[in-house]
Amino acid sequence: MNRQAAFFAVTAVVLLLLPLVIKSDVVMTILVFAWLQGMLAVSFNLIFGFTGQLSMFHAAAFGIAGYATHLSMQYLGVGYWTGTVLGALLVSVLSVIVGTICFRFRLKEFYFAVVTLAFSEVARITVVNWNSVTNGTLGINLQEKPWLFGFKVDDTVSWYYLSLVALAVTLLVCSRVVHSWMGRCFSAIRLNDELGDTLGINVFRYKLAAFVVGNFIAAVAGSLYAYYLGSLEPGFLSIDASLGIVAMVLLGGRSSVAAPVVGAVLLVSLPHLIHFSAEVRSIVYGSILILTILLMPQGIYGSIASLLRKRHAS
Amino acid sequence: MGQLILGQLLNGAILGTLYGIIALGVTLTFGITGIVNFALGVFMMLGAYAAWYFTDVAGLPYPLAVPCAVAATALAGLVADQALFRFTRNNLVNGLLVSIGMIAVMESVALLIFTSTPKEMHRVLPGVIEVAGFVLPKMKVAVFGLLLTVILATYAALTRTWIGRAAYAYAQNPEAAALMGVRTERLQTGVVVYSTALAGLGGALYASLYSLEPTLGSLFVLKAVEAAILAGIGSVLGSLFGGVILGITEGVGSIYLPLAFRDVYGLVFLVAILLFKPAGLFAGRK
Amino acid sequence: MLLEVRKLTKRFGGLTAVADVSFGITKGEIVGIFGPNGSGKTTLLNLVAGLMPPTEGDVLWKSAPIQGRPAHEVAASGLVKTFQNPQLFAELTVLEHVHIAAHLALKRRLGWRRLATLLDPDAGNASGALNERAEQIVRLCRLDASRDRLAAEISYGEEKMLGVAMALMCQPELLLLDEPASGLGAAEIENLEAVLRDLKQHGTTLCIIDHKVGFLGRLADRAIGLHHGAKIAEGAPDEVLRNPDVVMAYLGHSRDRI
Repeated sequence: MNRQAAFFAVTAVVLLLLPLVIKSDVVMTILVFAWLQGMLAVSFNLIFGFTGQLSMFHAAAFGIAGYATHLSMQYLGVGYWTGTVLGALLVSVLSVIVGTICFRFRLKEFYFAVVTLAFSEVARITVVNWNSVTNGTLGINLQEKPWLFGFKVDDTVSWYYLSLVALAVTLLVCSRVVHSWMGRCFSAIRLNDELGDTLGINVFRYKLAAFVVGNFIAAVAGSLYAYYLGSLEPGFLSIDASLGIVAMVLLGGRSSVAAPVVGAVLLVSLPHLIHFSAEVRSIVYGSILILTILLMPQGIYGSIASLLRKRHAS
Repeated sequence: MGQLILGQLLNGAILGTLYGIIALGVTLTFGITGIVNFALGVFMMLGAYAAWYFTDVAGLPYPLAVPCAVAATALAGLVADQALFRFTRNNLVNGLLVSIGMIAVMESVALLIFTSTPKEMHRVLPGVIEVAGFVLPKMKVAVFGLLLTVILATYAALTRTWIGRAAYAYAQNPEAAALMGVRTERLQTGVVVYSTALAGLGGALYASLYSLEPTLGSLFVLKAVEAAILAGIGSVLGSLFGGVILGITEGVGSIYLPLAFRDVYGLVFLVAILLFKPAGLFAGRK
Repeated sequence: MLLEVRKLTKRFGGLTAVADVSFGITKGEIVGIFGPNGSGKTTLLNLVAGLMPPTEGDVLWKSAPIQGRPAHEVAASGLVKTFQNPQLFAELTVLEHVHIAAHLALKRRLGWRRLATLLDPDAGNASGALNERAEQIVRLCRLDASRDRLAAEISYGEEKMLGVAMALMCQPELLLLDEPASGLGAAEIENLEAVLRDLKQHGTTLCIIDHKVGFLGRLADRAIGLHHGAKIAEGAPDEVLRNPDVVMAYLGHSRDRI
């Protein structure tokens, strides 16, 4: 077993046994949020870090899924898991529409960010104003919890394992994709999409694929998050939320599949280590964004990785 | 009904000049430094609060407070440029991320200092004036006139003065301009400072008409970017027209569609233009 | 006839870059297009590859018009073009470049079933065969020594060869080469010639444009002379090179006057 696999195996064992050691509910709660935000960050990185598209639609995917899950449970009478699947399907359809529009018109980087931001804002405004369905800015309180194998996922430890498994599956899927021929297509698109085109890569198709897969995973994360938190609100779809996702990825690192999780863990735990008001949290997010862009573009994971590489080389 | 529409048209046009002045800042920054600086919204907010502070707290007369606010904002712009924006020249994505980061930081700082309780500046020019059978607040007309003058003056400066034409040349071909002796670093900083000053002016005038809260900037700057892109980013006069078109659409639109849709018009324009006519409506003119 | 160019014309505003050019390319030959700088060679090649629409005329690739077809479809149909200024993936190694270029071959081999390889990387052993091919091509293009070096670190000559290598991975039926020898030293040109001759042996049809008369003269079976966007000569290379109009185009005056 090579060193990387060993590292992951040890980490996995530690994480699985953690609840037996840590008795603090607060810490466990933080970790649940961290794993779910980690899913968000990793899936965003598939679109941004690997395929090079700065999507400002990710928070919208996250938020819409939560509402969609709740609404399908309420109006269609389905259970939680069916609701989650329906929510994820809705988000996928929306992603196909938004993605097709953006990529058909060959919107480059910045303009893609602006247009996805516009779509995200339209979604948020819809949620805020469609009071009859979404209860507007007041949000919705969610009482139900998912049932799994006959057990109600209600306590922190159960949620810990559920979210950890969800994150693990996400990492596995993304890793498989990134290290396959499709991942090479993503890299080609990120680095020089015109060259990729002349080499026979259908750039439109793979940009869309990354976008839809990434948003699908965000949707699942969104559904889990809303039901763990117990509430829904339009703030999930805000530009601030998108900013938070970008900050996690920039902080953790863009160049590896798992690196964004580092950013997620840090940003989720920060407000609990130092008690922040909402304003100070925004100041921190914004500062992190600025500082990482200017000083540490590779993120924490990336910087450490390149430091280690340099030490090996010398 | 016609009266209502015309009234909304006029109001929309006036609001449009506010959009326009920020849009002008957006367009100038883009042309010379290669990024779309969303942080101009922050500078608008700074200008507004500065004007309020100088007028209501420091007790200066409003016509003096405005230039002071503009100067303060320009200074802040200089600092921001040297500390941050200087490192994101021509990198649209980094520029976007840094400017959004800056918005988050500055708005939160403003929230902490001023709280979210809206501040109302005392009425500077109370009373109304009759224009073509319509009753309009005098202050609004004054603001409209002032902003229009500034935008047109900027256009004149760009096309007539040496500095202006140097800037124009640089926007067209940076290398050639540099070879001809244009001090590019200075030019870029100068344009950034001027754009923040414009935003500050917009904010200072905004303070005389509306109530202030820390998020006013980000709402406005998105509209301004929409207006700039609608007109064609890089077109000076275009930013005025773009702003006015947007303002009028919002005003007239609110007659027919619920108020909730107000912010959607701009977004629709934005997407439509970027997809179908990315160069903007007035492409080609500077 | 693999490729047919009929009365091809391209105007940019007042400038006519390509004027009423017609020729054909049959399978297995090496066609060289000569012309001094500014004669419209690169524009002609871009038109032929379908990268820009002509003002007049058409390009038929395997008897079907090429106009309006997206670049990746053109490549998939067997027509591949290299770039005059090497286009690369800055952060990747030479070998990784070649592996990316293997996408088309993978698609041809597995079609939709390639999705299955996402779940199981060894499915169909496609990667095995393609890896071998990649190795072959890297060796063929004499890039073996630099295979693990980043594209940003290799020499200009190697960059051009990498462009050729990537094009080869796409299994082209007709390879369009845009000034492959420009900027190369003598040894590198020799190398390039050997590679291209090898290619012809293996059945690839080549169309090369260049202004280096010697290089193209040795390699081409048939030559076309271009000047100010118009075809001024066609035939065997040494004939075309001796053609007084061609000489005039290059030297500015006919040989007799020297």
